[in-house]
Amino acid sequence: MGTAGSEPRGPRGVRVTQEDVRRLCEFLYRRTGMLFDDNKRYYIDRRLVERIDATKSGSFPAYFALLRSDADHEIEQLINAFTVNETYFNREEHQLRCMTSDLLGNVIRGKRPGESIRIWSIPCSSGEEPYSIAIWLMENWRLVDSYNIEIVGSDIDTRALKAAGEGVYGARALMRLSRDVIGRYFQPVADGEHRIDPGLRESIQFTRANLIDSSEMARYRGFDIVFCRNVLIYFDDSSRRIAAENLYDCLAAGGYICLGHSETMSRISPLFRVCRFSDAIVYQRPESDHDGR
Amino acid sequence: MTDVEQAAPPSRRRILVVDDSALVRLYYRDALERAGFEVEQAINGIEAMEKVLAQPFDLAIVDVNMPRMDGFSFLRTLRRNATDVATLPALVITTEAGEQDLDTARAAGANFYLVKPVSQQDLVRHAAALSGAPT
Repeated sequence: MGTAGSEPRGPRGVRVTQEDVRRLCEFLYRRTGMLFDDNKRYYIDRRLVERIDATKSGSFPAYFALLRSDADHEIEQLINAFTVNETYFNREEHQLRCMTSDLLGNVIRGKRPGESIRIWSIPCSSGEEPYSIAIWLMENWRLVDSYNIEIVGSDIDTRALKAAGEGVYGARALMRLSRDVIGRYFQPVADGEHRIDPGLRESIQFTRANLIDSSEMARYRGFDIVFCRNVLIYFDDSSRRIAAENLYDCLAAGGYICLGHSETMSRISPLFRVCRFSDAIVYQRPESDHDGR
Repeated sequence: MTDVEQAAPPSRRRILVVDDSALVRLYYRDALERAGFEVEQAINGIEAMEKVLAQPFDLAIVDVNMPRMDGFSFLRTLRRNATDVATLPALVITTEAGEQDLDTARAAGANFYLVKPVSQQDLVRHAAALSGAPT
């Protein structure tokens, strides 16, 4: 791990020690459930030094006092600095295929045409995933106009949510989309970037949500399908369990949750039923609670 | 070239799509624009009425279930209007497939009635026929 000599310094020469980082990580863990261990130390040091510089705190103790008082929403700023937001359209396409080939068929079994189908992307980062879901449905689900499809994108990072609302993407984010799809759902803007169609923007609701805050999560209920990819890996066992239980409560009975390809719910919580479809393994809240907990 | 593009009328007919779902409006608009139509949108009957009184259209595509003013109420209001807009062709799209719903749509003044799901190809075909677009 980093020695004093290799610890990063900001432009103002601010230096952080291992003890400073430990206190910060403990604070972040209490507030967000995100656990940063030693192998992410360099990453943490850099972000921390950046925040100390940005707030002109001058030292870790001064910064930490500012953080705890939450002056100028520094907690939010720090969380924003610590979350990784790089993603792209149609990432994990097999799950989108699974949604239209298997999940939705089961979801509509208990619904009449015209009723709502609720889909949640959490964390939604800068919007690539919820927009991908909407485009995928229009391109691949012949019943797309028969139900009232509500897509919600949520993230803890308000900077990412702002970007999602603006909906401007570079070539890297769009690399998996065909030219035809880009031409139909985006408008070119400066520097080779593309802005999402206003109609598509309007069809997604973006909100801030913290997966381990049960009272905040109580606002979200009745989702038929939840995409929750590559976030549980940031949590330790107990936060992961809290997040899983919160997600369980957010799902409608019989609703599904899709995790990232390296994640598995089975080791986190016994509440969910494992469903193996040809395109993906997903987890289901049982139709009746007696089947689960 | 897709089926939607093959059905493209050569002239720019103007269509008003009335649906409370942004996703459905986009799904219909995408098909119609690719087929060469010019598309305006409204989120309910009230907004649709304001638009037809302010701009010329060749066809209204109208969902039935909408908040504030539903598709049937919009059509009744439209047909009672004292100006030319009263004769605007209207294609009603609904989730209800019953005999009675068809009668209600006819009585409200619908020229044609489609039950969801409506494919983009079918939408364009009926839009072309009802708007009088040359084929």
